[in-house]
Amino acid sequence: MRILAVAENTFRESVRDKVLYVLLFFAAVTILGSKALGWISIGQDIKIVKDISLAATSIFGVLIAIFVGTSLIYKEIDKRTLYTIISQPMHRYEFILGKYLGLMALLAVVTGVMAAVSSVYVLLLGGTLEPVYFLAVLLIYWKLMLITAVALLMSSLTSPILGAVIVFSTYVFGHATGVFKDLPPQFDGTLSKRMLEFAYYVIPNLGNFDIRMEAANDVPVNPAFIAFVLFYGLGYTVVLLILAALAFEEKDV
Amino acid sequence: MDAIVTRNLSKVYKGLGKGHHKSLDSLSLTVAANEVFGFLGRNGAGKTTTIKMLCSLLKPTEGDALVFGESTRTRQARRLIGYLPEQPYFYEYLNPKETIAFYGKLQGLTRAERDRQWDKLSELLDLREIATQRIKGFSKGMRQRIGFAVALVGDPPLLILDEPMSGLDPIGRRMIRELILRLRDEKKTLFFSSHVLGDVEQICDRVGILVKGKLVRAGRIDALLGSAVNPVEVICTGLAVADVTRLKEQAELYRAMEELHVFRAATPEIANEMVRQILAAGGKLVEFNPLKETLEDYFMREQTQDGTVRMEGAIQ
Ligand SMILES: Nc1ncnc2c1ncn2[C@@H]1O[C@H](COP(=O)(O)OP(=O)(O)O)[C@@H](O)[C@H]1O
Ligand SMILES: [Mg+2]
Repeated sequence: MRILAVAENTFRESVRDKVLYVLLFFAAVTILGSKALGWISIGQDIKIVKDISLAATSIFGVLIAIFVGTSLIYKEIDKRTLYTIISQPMHRYEFILGKYLGLMALLAVVTGVMAAVSSVYVLLLGGTLEPVYFLAVLLIYWKLMLITAVALLMSSLTSPILGAVIVFSTYVFGHATGVFKDLPPQFDGTLSKRMLEFAYYVIPNLGNFDIRMEAANDVPVNPAFIAFVLFYGLGYTVVLLILAALAFEEKDV
Repeated sequence: MDAIVTRNLSKVYKGLGKGHHKSLDSLSLTVAANEVFGFLGRNGAGKTTTIKMLCSLLKPTEGDALVFGESTRTRQARRLIGYLPEQPYFYEYLNPKETIAFYGKLQGLTRAERDRQWDKLSELLDLREIATQRIKGFSKGMRQRIGFAVALVGDPPLLILDEPMSGLDPIGRRMIRELILRLRDEKKTLFFSSHVLGDVEQICDRVGILVKGKLVRAGRIDALLGSAVNPVEVICTGLAVADVTRLKEQAELYRAMEELHVFRAATPEIANEMVRQILAAGGKLVEFNPLKETLEDYFMREQTQDGTVRMEGAIQ
């Protein structure tokens, strides 16, 4: 109830954010413009539209998660709207969770709209949609869930700019975690190797959430893998949310 | 049961460098239930710091505080407190009605209870006409009214108000003052900070004076002022020049108009002695005015003395 009240407000507030509409506009342009690339390789156009649409959904979703997410708590402290909220008879984690759920609701709408636009577009172009396409959208949303949790943690620890840099780095490294593991032999036994290996295990492997190729080529994905990825994402998210709640619990505001 | 008890409550802000200066230094204070307590101090004295700790926005560095026996770190304590921040900020895109509903939800009130709260608070704070306007364009006075309404959501027995009258015009101040008195009549406990001494003097049962993070005085206003040695104005007539000269050795001659002489004696004892001499010299006493020290005078005097905590009046 209290969590929902905070979530509802967060949703209402972020819907008013102009950045959202700028990003949505660019996402739509990218999706609709993807056909242009399709002409280059005749017969491949549907495939490319699907591929680019999913990429756009992912990238713009991540940008929203970072921009809105990293200022989520900071803004409340900065604008002092927090004073009268934290002093209410509620738990601080309820506030954190409400903020998170509000942004996740917004991202659900955003990914939903982008998926709808791209689906209609694919069908208008005479293509077909397989379930794997929607699974790909679901996994993108799952990835956003994780990234938003990182953003929320940063928001309760640091300023939006530094937070955005950290979340963005996490995103980039999360898509290239293999680099930390497959090190050349000269690293053997060094401290750097152990630190990079640590990074490998701590930074989530975001590549797991990417089944764009399969979706573009209508190749079904093993349900067990999907289940694993959903579980993997949820595990990371829960841990990050707990950390964010702990960071916020003792914070002076 | 006491409404507020603080024990050695102290705060050192983190990241203030090495010199661990205490923004609030061992505050031990008791506010009884149904009392109107004025918390006085200049800018930077530590009033807001104290209030934020009472409302669990800040974690005390040392010491603790209880609200009706509950530790301020608990939810139960927060349920008992209505808090008006120094400059209340609310979500700008909400209107007053939505704002009250939002805080009602945060307190877990049902829809019917929230509606009842709105009916009561919008009437009390005159919010009906602006019910559906966004807060965004509101003046300081309007925001303060909404802040008050928010503090009163859920009918808490203790109200903690941080400088509720600062920045308001005279009409706004009067409205807040009347509101405080009205809430006092409803048997609420009010704890508010201020540097507007006139207002405090009119409505407080007791005051505490904070100087540089330390409580230098706490007690009933009359007791605090009574403890001071008050000067007395002695006005007389019908004196010879020699008599006036003699009296001038004992007290300052403040004014002399024709026959009338206005002396200001430092203490009531000196004034009494002067009266005897005036009458013995065949003069006539016109007025004998003990000059009541205002809280303002007292406050100014306290600012210059440092440190030690002296408790007076009803405290502990
Ligand atoms: N967030 C903060 N960080 C560091 N110092 C602070 C902070 N807030 C207040 N202070 C310091 O604490 C002291 C008390 O401030 P405050 O409680 O706001 O006083 P008042 O409300 O009586 O004007 C001041 O010296 C102020 O500079
Ligand atoms: Mg203050």
